[in-house]
Amino acid sequence: MENSTQESHLRSDNSITYESPYPIYAMAFSSTPSVANLNHQRIALGSFIEDYGNRVDVISFDPETLSIKTHPTLSFDHPYPPTKLMFQPNRKSPSSSFSDLLASSGDYLRLWEVRESSIEPLSVLNNSKTSEFCSPLTSFDWNDVEPNRIGTSSIDTTCTIWDIEKGVVETQLIAHDKEVYDIAWGEARVFASVSADGSVRIFDLRDKEHSTIIYESPQPDTPLLRLAWNKQDLRYMATILMDSNKVVILDIRSPSIPVAELERHRASVNAIAWAPQSCRHICSVGDDTQALIWELPTVAGPNGIDPLSMYSAGSEINQLQWSAAQPDWISIAFSSKMQLLKV
Amino acid sequence: MATGVQNQERVPVNLKKQLVLAVRNIQWSYAIFWSISAGQPGVLEWGDGYYNGDIKTRKTVQAVELNADQLGLQRSEQLRELYESLSAADSSPQARRPSAALSPEDLTDTEWYYLVCMSFVFNIGQGLPGRTLSSGQPIWLCNAHYAESKVFSRSLLAKSASIQTVVCFPFSRGVIELGVTDLVSEELSLIQFIKTSFSDGPQTFVSNKSIPVAGRTGYKKDFSCPSLLGCEQQEMASPNDSSDGYEPNQPAEDPFMIEGITDGVSQVQSWQFMDEEFSNCVDHSLNSSDCISQTVVDHGNAVPLSQGEKDNDNELTSLNLPSDDPHYQTVLSALLNSSHQLILGPHFRNSNQESSFVSWKKNGLVKSQKARDETPQKLLKKILFEVPHMHDKGLLESPEDNGARDAAWRLEADEIYGNHVLSERRRREKINELFMILKSLVPSNSKADKVSILDDTIEYLQDLGRRVEDLESCRELTDLEVRTKRKRQDHVERTSDNYDDNKITIRKKSSPNKRKACDIDEVEQEIDYVAFKDDSTNNVTVTVSLNKKDFLIEFSCPWREGILLEIVDALSILNLDCQSVQSSTTEGILSLTIKSKYKGSTVAKPGTVKQALQRVAWKC
Repeated sequence: MENSTQESHLRSDNSITYESPYPIYAMAFSSTPSVANLNHQRIALGSFIEDYGNRVDVISFDPETLSIKTHPTLSFDHPYPPTKLMFQPNRKSPSSSFSDLLASSGDYLRLWEVRESSIEPLSVLNNSKTSEFCSPLTSFDWNDVEPNRIGTSSIDTTCTIWDIEKGVVETQLIAHDKEVYDIAWGEARVFASVSADGSVRIFDLRDKEHSTIIYESPQPDTPLLRLAWNKQDLRYMATILMDSNKVVILDIRSPSIPVAELERHRASVNAIAWAPQSCRHICSVGDDTQALIWELPTVAGPNGIDPLSMYSAGSEINQLQWSAAQPDWISIAFSSKMQLLKV
Repeated sequence: MATGVQNQERVPVNLKKQLVLAVRNIQWSYAIFWSISAGQPGVLEWGDGYYNGDIKTRKTVQAVELNADQLGLQRSEQLRELYESLSAADSSPQARRPSAALSPEDLTDTEWYYLVCMSFVFNIGQGLPGRTLSSGQPIWLCNAHYAESKVFSRSLLAKSASIQTVVCFPFSRGVIELGVTDLVSEELSLIQFIKTSFSDGPQTFVSNKSIPVAGRTGYKKDFSCPSLLGCEQQEMASPNDSSDGYEPNQPAEDPFMIEGITDGVSQVQSWQFMDEEFSNCVDHSLNSSDCISQTVVDHGNAVPLSQGEKDNDNELTSLNLPSDDPHYQTVLSALLNSSHQLILGPHFRNSNQESSFVSWKKNGLVKSQKARDETPQKLLKKILFEVPHMHDKGLLESPEDNGARDAAWRLEADEIYGNHVLSERRRREKINELFMILKSLVPSNSKADKVSILDDTIEYLQDLGRRVEDLESCRELTDLEVRTKRKRQDHVERTSDNYDDNKITIRKKSSPNKRKACDIDEVEQEIDYVAFKDDSTNNVTVTVSLNKKDFLIEFSCPWREGILLEIVDALSILNLDCQSVQSSTTEGILSLTIKSKYKGSTVAKPGTVKQALQRVAWKC
């Protein structure tokens, strides 16, 4: 499905579907518009093929004309599926040439420079002493206040903080007792992580000896799979548990007590994303093929919180991105399709 | 949401309440918010204020019994009214002076000071508020009443009012000023506290210098008090002290909570899990959640209180927060005071016609939910659980490929490992090494991943085992041959039995024609010799030799009751007449030597006899 201008995309009034040649998991929105056309938004899509050869493609999206354009040259190989993709937030690229920084996690953290018509690999950030054995990464987060700082989470229970400009490790912390599944920055030196040991912990780089558990899953050792920190209101975080249809909202000022548990999915939740422009909206997607937008109220009803709105996709939705660059659009990925939905 | 939308004319309602609480929390005399004038840009004018100082008398008879809080509010309102009436009178003397609840003679000096402040305006850079705004830094003025009028233009007024300390700091779109009749030395943490209290709600400031009064005892843990900046945990002022106004104050307090001093979401906290939170809050944040805890107590919810103790004991210990408490406080303060102001973006529109999303309906949507047999969160779990391990496997496959594929240079990082990370890594390396060795030992032509290596090894071992058994049994038979060779013309039929496969391979040394001895009446006697050897562990051996019609059977097997009879029976079924039987039993093993004559017309094959005897021996 790779025609350059004419896309065989499905378009309804307010959503665009892109059909990829392979199943997709990782997805990322660029924070900078394309130089050529300021309206074009770049999206990186990582494949999910259970084999060695995987690919990452960068496509561009024009919200005015509701069209998607693929760029065959903007593509690269990746060993095994990338577990996460992310563009550098708030990037100030040199005005002369357009270039965006894309990071991918898998066996290592890799940096790629996405130019107008090609992608160049920049570096591979490898922390292991021997060249053979690495600790594969489950996720990472790019600090939006410190553009050179990336935190990664790994199955060897550690989180590593990189200075990508110098290409060195700032610090590596043993974050949890079991594999760490996700990491999110709060501000320049504070991050939080979730793990198979079922806890959400907050770390401060100024005080590496201590971490604070702000939530533990009610059934002990139920892994927490994903974490999202509300960048608009740093008091709130959201997390999801394994095999659970609940989205747990936490207030960092009140450890251990969830502020809310959003329980309207009919199957397990796969991904969550806070609204980039509003501090109390959050979106979640799950195996019940639903994408739900919730508004966290001032006063909750006795039966819990109902979502504000919903969308039904064709199959289980595995990925969700709500980018600050395009606050009106939510992108979801299910099977081999990527869909952009207008909010 | 949009509570932060600022009215052009007045400051937002909740700011007033924040002012009230702020000045109450620290027990100062007044709080004023100077806002940037809408009418004249570059000028600070009276925005709102709250008077918390001394009052002379309650002049009017209260129709309704007011609590202290409402009293304070009312007073401030009255002061404002009075000011307005006075200024109206000034501007239009002929107009009838509107009646105000208060008249000037009812005011204390401090109240008068407060009232007069309402008339002040400041250019940016002029006066205390003006300079605060222009510099963006807080200003703490001690001995305000002695200050120069350049510094503090109201110093004379302050003197008469005995206002000794005035503090200004920039906030939102203006300046907040607080004043007190006591002399309070500079304490920046107080300003911090006020600022956080604006975003966080009711709290109590406990300064380092104040003497704590024992509050509730027994709860040493406290972890949700950003207010305790710079304080140690257990010391906390009694809720009673600082919340005189609170106890009878529920109706007024609740609106505070609900209307949202903070942003909406925090209110979910107070509603959604009320019981838990109340009990938790009582345990955890005795002074910061005075309001909540007070209301708990006053509602007579003693039960959750005590329940909470037990429930939370576990939680407290498991969370291990006490040791983190001061650290967590600093983390929280870093987070909440960071430069992020809440970005109040455009109000979230969902009534947008163009949206892909539809309003949520409780019963609406998916028509047929087919039962999902598959694992939930399948892809997510694969990404988290399986994909990382694919890399381990891959390393065995093509380490050289990995090197080639990484086009860019690899970066060495600083070595900061925990001990267990290092040993885990070594263990993994060791395991991989051993797998490579195993691969080299095992002939295999498949891939070099761990699973295949193990498969091949298992197959190889099984194969080797079979071969060993074959060889062993071969060896034994060879021994037997040597031992039992009696006559040249003896033909020996050997039977070897391979138990593993239940295969019986019969290797005959004699020609098949000679099997039936009765057919051949020759000088040559043939002995059909059937050797049957089982595992030595079973101790069953049968040897049957046939001489014309006479069978010589040598048989040993584990003895059991009645076995002799069974053997004789089995033989008679085969038309063998037992002529003589010699038997002995040693160590549970029965050894028999039977000579039997065949009495029928056709002779049974030795193999048949053997099988029959086997059956008897195996019957248990």
